[in-house]
Amino acid sequence: MRLFALPLLALVLLAAGPAAAQLHGVEVRVPRTFGYFLGDLVEATIVIEAEPGFVLQASSLPQPGPVTYWLDLRRVEARQEGTRHILRLTYQTFYAAIDARSLDVPGFPLVLSSGTDHGATTAPVAVPSWSLGLSPLREVQPARRADPAEYLRPDGLGPRLDPVPARNAALALGAAALLALVSLARDRAWWPFRPRPARAFADAARRLAALGRGPESEQGYREGLLALHRGLDAKAGYRLLADDLDAFLARHPAYRPQRDGLARFFAASRLAFFGGSVAEARHRLPLAEAGATARALAVAERAA
Amino acid sequence: MSFLHTAWTRTRPNLLLVLPILLLAGALVAGGLTWRAQTTNREIAALEANQDRPVTTAAASQLILARVLQLARRDATEEMEPLVVALESRDVPLLLARARYALGNARLRRALDLIERSQLDPAGPLIVLARQEYRRALQARPEFWDAKFNLDVAARLIRDFPEVDRQIGDELKAEPKKIWTDIPGQPRGAP
Repeated sequence: MRLFALPLLALVLLAAGPAAAQLHGVEVRVPRTFGYFLGDLVEATIVIEAEPGFVLQASSLPQPGPVTYWLDLRRVEARQEGTRHILRLTYQTFYAAIDARSLDVPGFPLVLSSGTDHGATTAPVAVPSWSLGLSPLREVQPARRADPAEYLRPDGLGPRLDPVPARNAALALGAAALLALVSLARDRAWWPFRPRPARAFADAARRLAALGRGPESEQGYREGLLALHRGLDAKAGYRLLADDLDAFLARHPAYRPQRDGLARFFAASRLAFFGGSVAEARHRLPLAEAGATARALAVAERAA
Repeated sequence: MSFLHTAWTRTRPNLLLVLPILLLAGALVAGGLTWRAQTTNREIAALEANQDRPVTTAAASQLILARVLQLARRDATEEMEPLVVALESRDVPLLLARARYALGNARLRRALDLIERSQLDPAGPLIVLARQEYRRALQARPEFWDAKFNLDVAARLIRDFPEVDRQIGDELKAEPKKIWTDIPGQPRGAP
């Protein structure tokens, strides 16, 4: 942008005096000085060359706001590149021109200051005024209309809300939730992932919980023990007997914390199935305790 | 590494439990937003079909603008103003520009109507107000060509007076000679 900026008013030499030595030149650059309609933004760049050590006094910068009845100053940006002080001003013109004409954008004063040990030195800078070419938007005499309101442009319509991004987000999140639900079901061996040897204890725990809710009976107790047996068998890959327990735990260290529970379970099982005393076995290891062991095993199984 | 592995195997079951809940909650929120956007769009469509529906200043910005545009069609400027002010406090420059433009249009149409009936005195302030609205619309959106056009129409009805404006502010220059010319009591050479 700066490359194409055409130097409009170059080098205003200041009158004699101390300030002249500290200031090398002021330049106003505008992309173009003609062909602006009302409401257009006009960017002006003011370049000030000064002695090293000088800075622009921030309090002397022009304030955004109305400049004249037809011109607003909207934005002021100041920066420094070595000894150059660059001011970017954004004006907005509101001049409703009937014919093309040039109007003066007023200049303004700035203050450069340099702080030394002996005190501050200030140098005034006069930014010169420059002319801006404004063009009419409409013909001088528009064609006659019956209703004067027809000269106006219509009110137009406002935009509507865009529901598409929210809808897409809802669909994507819903699909992701479904996916996460499937992986949760797989992890917990819920339907449809039930018959899996990798989740054999989950099956056993579920069966035991179902039996625990039902009425107590010898038949139910046996079934519960068998369910845990089947879980252990499926996990081990062969019929697991009491004597194999240590070897099994050596191969599956995750279930080692349940060693005591499993030993008691095998003892109760032997008593129930081979000792012929289900009541005694039930007294030593109630079904709820077997269920708790199976649940703990199922938890360890998920974490393994 | 093994510590990380155990930590992962411990947290994975909980993570798997929490994830679908969070995702489902997000999906429900997004679905609610979609539903609200569609409801608002239906309201806007009703307003554009010129059904009279009051809109509060707390409504969605697009809905407020739709109501402003509907009121502009009836030139009901008094009802428009609080809604335009409500838009001003939000960061919606494009909608605000359209609302101010519609308010300016409504005022200018009333002024033109008054001029048609040769009532020039009440028309003047309306034109000045309309010009202010167009100017504010252009401040919010400088490339708003319809506002430029209508501002041009309004500006040709009543021109600005640079002399009046120049005396506002602190650069009022005293012209001593002029000040003393109208002092009363000076003999004017009457017989």
